[in-house]
Amino acid sequence: MSDIDIVVEICGSAGEGTISAGEILSRFMSEEGYDIMSFDSYPAEIRGFGKCVAHSRISRTRVLTPGKYSDVLIALNDSHSISQLPVLKEQGVLIYDNKPPKYHDEDKSIAGWLEPGMIPYGIPLNELAIKAAGNARGRNMVALGAFAALFGISQDAFIQSVKRRYGKKKQVVIDNNVDSFVEGFNWTRDNVRKIDFHLFDSSPSDVKRDQLIINGNEAVARGALAAGLHLYAGYPITPATKIMEILSKELPKKGGVFLQTEDEISSIGHVMGAGFAGKRAMTGTSGPGFCLMSEFTGLSVMAEVPAVIVNSQRGGPSTGLPTKHEQSDLNIALFGGSGDSPRVVIAPTSVDQCYQAAVLALYIAEKYQTLVILLIDFFLSNSIKNLDPPPPPDPRYLNANIAPGKDELKDYKRYQITENGISPRTIPGTPGGMFFSTGLEHDERGKPVYDTKTHTLMTEKRFRKHREILKEIPEPRITGWEGQGDIGVVSWGSSAGAAEEAVILACEKGLKVGSFSSMVLSPFPANALVRFCDRFKTILVPEMNYSGQFANMIAPIVTRPVMRLNMVTGLPMASEDILKKIKEIK
Amino acid sequence: MPKNDHYVIIGNGPAGNLAADTLRDSDPDARITIVSNESMTYYYRHKLTEFIKGKAREEDLTVRPYSVYKDKNIRLRLGQQVDKIDPNKKIIYLKHMETVSYTKLIIATGASPRALPSVSNFSKCLNVLSTYSDALAQIPMINKNKTFLVLGGDIISFKFIRMLKDMGKEVTTLLYSEAFWPFSLEADMAQQVKKSLSDKGVTVISDDHIKSVKKSGEAFDIVTEKGLNQSFDSVYSFLGMIPNIRFILGSGIDTDRGILVDDHLKTNFDDVYAAGDCAQIYNPDMKSYWLSIGWNNAKIQGTLAAQNLLGAHKVINPAPQKILEVEGLKINTSWWESF
Ligand SMILES: Cc1cc2nc3c(=O)[nH]c(=O)nc-3n(C[C@H](O)[C@H](O)[C@H](O)COP(=O)(O)OP(=O)(O)OC[C@H]3O[C@@H](n4cnc5c(N)ncnc54)[C@H](O)[C@@H]3O)c2cc1C
Repeated sequence: MSDIDIVVEICGSAGEGTISAGEILSRFMSEEGYDIMSFDSYPAEIRGFGKCVAHSRISRTRVLTPGKYSDVLIALNDSHSISQLPVLKEQGVLIYDNKPPKYHDEDKSIAGWLEPGMIPYGIPLNELAIKAAGNARGRNMVALGAFAALFGISQDAFIQSVKRRYGKKKQVVIDNNVDSFVEGFNWTRDNVRKIDFHLFDSSPSDVKRDQLIINGNEAVARGALAAGLHLYAGYPITPATKIMEILSKELPKKGGVFLQTEDEISSIGHVMGAGFAGKRAMTGTSGPGFCLMSEFTGLSVMAEVPAVIVNSQRGGPSTGLPTKHEQSDLNIALFGGSGDSPRVVIAPTSVDQCYQAAVLALYIAEKYQTLVILLIDFFLSNSIKNLDPPPPPDPRYLNANIAPGKDELKDYKRYQITENGISPRTIPGTPGGMFFSTGLEHDERGKPVYDTKTHTLMTEKRFRKHREILKEIPEPRITGWEGQGDIGVVSWGSSAGAAEEAVILACEKGLKVGSFSSMVLSPFPANALVRFCDRFKTILVPEMNYSGQFANMIAPIVTRPVMRLNMVTGLPMASEDILKKIKEIK
Repeated sequence: MPKNDHYVIIGNGPAGNLAADTLRDSDPDARITIVSNESMTYYYRHKLTEFIKGKAREEDLTVRPYSVYKDKNIRLRLGQQVDKIDPNKKIIYLKHMETVSYTKLIIATGASPRALPSVSNFSKCLNVLSTYSDALAQIPMINKNKTFLVLGGDIISFKFIRMLKDMGKEVTTLLYSEAFWPFSLEADMAQQVKKSLSDKGVTVISDDHIKSVKKSGEAFDIVTEKGLNQSFDSVYSFLGMIPNIRFILGSGIDTDRGILVDDHLKTNFDDVYAAGDCAQIYNPDMKSYWLSIGWNNAKIQGTLAAQNLLGAHKVINPAPQKILEVEGLKINTSWWESF
């Protein structure tokens, strides 16, 4: 079995089928039993023009990052693709159109920028597409055909996959795609001498047809649906819009309510209303929308109304960089809003975790009657992973409201002070369960009261919930060196995959390095972190923000020097960068 | 177009590189581009036989690594073939469908193994060795095969035969006078060469011609006019070199066997020069043209073409004569450097 692990980039202009070619390739490789992670990028503005890159890592072993450098670049558009050459590895393969319909101007042809060691395969993409289907639209499929022929992929298996993908389309669409693929495949097989060394297994052993191939947004939406989401109210914003798109279709099918509101303030208002009425409700947004919602976040905490906000971070501040990756909303997630306002922050580290995190978020919000922020980011929202369909959530996650018993209803106190901070909650309309609800500080019955004692007791009660939540959050993930070592890498959110990968590579090189990440950041499993950090001389916190927001959060907890790796490149964290930093510290 | 001059050089051999260096030394701001259809940077062709034997590594072949071009701000376009030139519009057309404009052009495209008419019918069965990629592609085959027929007579053939013998191969060579290159050998000189080769265990056939070459399985069946009928694992041809000028034909630049230049290395276009193995140079005293051959001539001409392009008026002469030893013969020549 080949132990292939390669990164393929397809680069073209919007409308050239770049992203769909990437999707077809990823889907096929996943069906053939490979682990894949894809990450597409496209122009910031409305799609329709500009540069698109479909980036996929395909591996025999589990992949944790999409990979920083590519092994293969398929150029559907020369001038856009030139700017992808710096990430093509030294021995990288370039597949390009060597017979475009007219001459490129000087410096606008990718073949003009080849460097020694790169392996170019010129394929007449345009000509072959026209030959196959009468027009050049199928260039992307011709290129995939060339790729398949070069890398030992079975023509038949690929065609079956394409047919499955286009199953519901018109026959002519299916035929054109298949014919273009075959044209590219056969031409390459007959005319190109392979000089690179990448090869896939021609007959993979563990074919998987039922895998999900989804991005983080879809995983969040699926998780929320599985967790019994009843209402989603949202306002479109990159990179969170896809969650909304999916739920707009799927939620009504399940009897739920989908609302596109006039703005983000209205969205969170609807979510609070539904939460108050006893329904599981969620909204999704990005940094700029989250800012608008912050007034309501305080109300959720104070009035103890369940609410879940998904914040998919992008580059900031303000409207910032809509299609760039960053992890710079941690501070606002943890601390945004007025007063002592304990909120739960869940930051999944992978696409799989996005699903679990959505289930957990709705569960915690309901059970603990509080605000839960599901903090994802541009990379997670858009990175596509293949995974086994997750099992349905444990029933205990589905119905978590702690309602008052008959006796409690005799003298109902909606905000009763309790040991675990949770007060039994009635749904409006429950006989005997009437109560005041307000954003003002209040007594156990909800009546506004401002005295010292009440405010102190109520604040303590709200914070006590966190002590309880800490008992039922997933264990932090700890990998790498198990004994006393040199560097402990502590990461969060989507950077955790890169951190873990860097630690694996460092350990392979004989370094004593470990990795720690927790999906739940608030309440934070500080004891586990302290135990982890005590094993290492230095702590390294890699994160995609400038100010080291997470490093600032953990530095007072640990008794070791905390080194930082902060970047605002707009790209996902790369294991290569963390590994480099580890070596520098060493 | 940026306002700086753009000097374009086609060919990344000794002529092209010396030209580029000369241009860069005297014009630090000019744009300089070298286009080469090979993907290897500037290397010693005469070391290819050592490379095949495994006695020289890629680094040993390299005259100058890619990084040097970057340091000198010379844009090296590797693996890019010039398909045609329009000297009136001052544009070169690259095979991968890109146009490049120049203000001044130096053509230094060297020469390729020549296929004599007598072998043209079966040229598909013949191997040649002139580039790094030839060598790279042929190493497994040369290592595997045992019996070789070398159609030879040119100066490179002797080096190649020596390489095969060093590798323990069985070698037969067919020497004939049209194949002698770059100098013809008198009968007694040819005799000396034959003896020298025979002494090394090479089977030498002379005064004969190939009649047919047929592929049979992995091997090649050879029949000669005088009735030799034998099978060989591979057949090589070393019949001299011919200037690489095909892409210029029809452009308006004058050519004969090579690119015709005056004794300043200028073509019939004021801003187009040629240097090295591709150039055919006018000698006013003899009132005829001579073809440039060999490493040293290429270096001298590359330098001089660049100087003249920048405004000098220097006259080219062949490299000084040296004694070259070939199979026991001592030849006084300016065509070939003995490395
Ligand atoms: C095996 C071998 C051994 C040799 N041994 C010796 C020796 O011992 N002594 C000696 O003096 N000489 C030797 N030579 C000859 C010597 O290498 C040449 O004379 C010399 O390289 C000529 O230099 P040049 O710059 O003119 O051309 P070259 O070095 O041939 O360079 C020309 C370059 O231009 C490229 N080119 C051609 N056409 C195009 C196009 N259309 N577009 C883009 N690029 C193009 C060619 O591929 C080539 O890379 C040997 C040659 C060979 C092949």
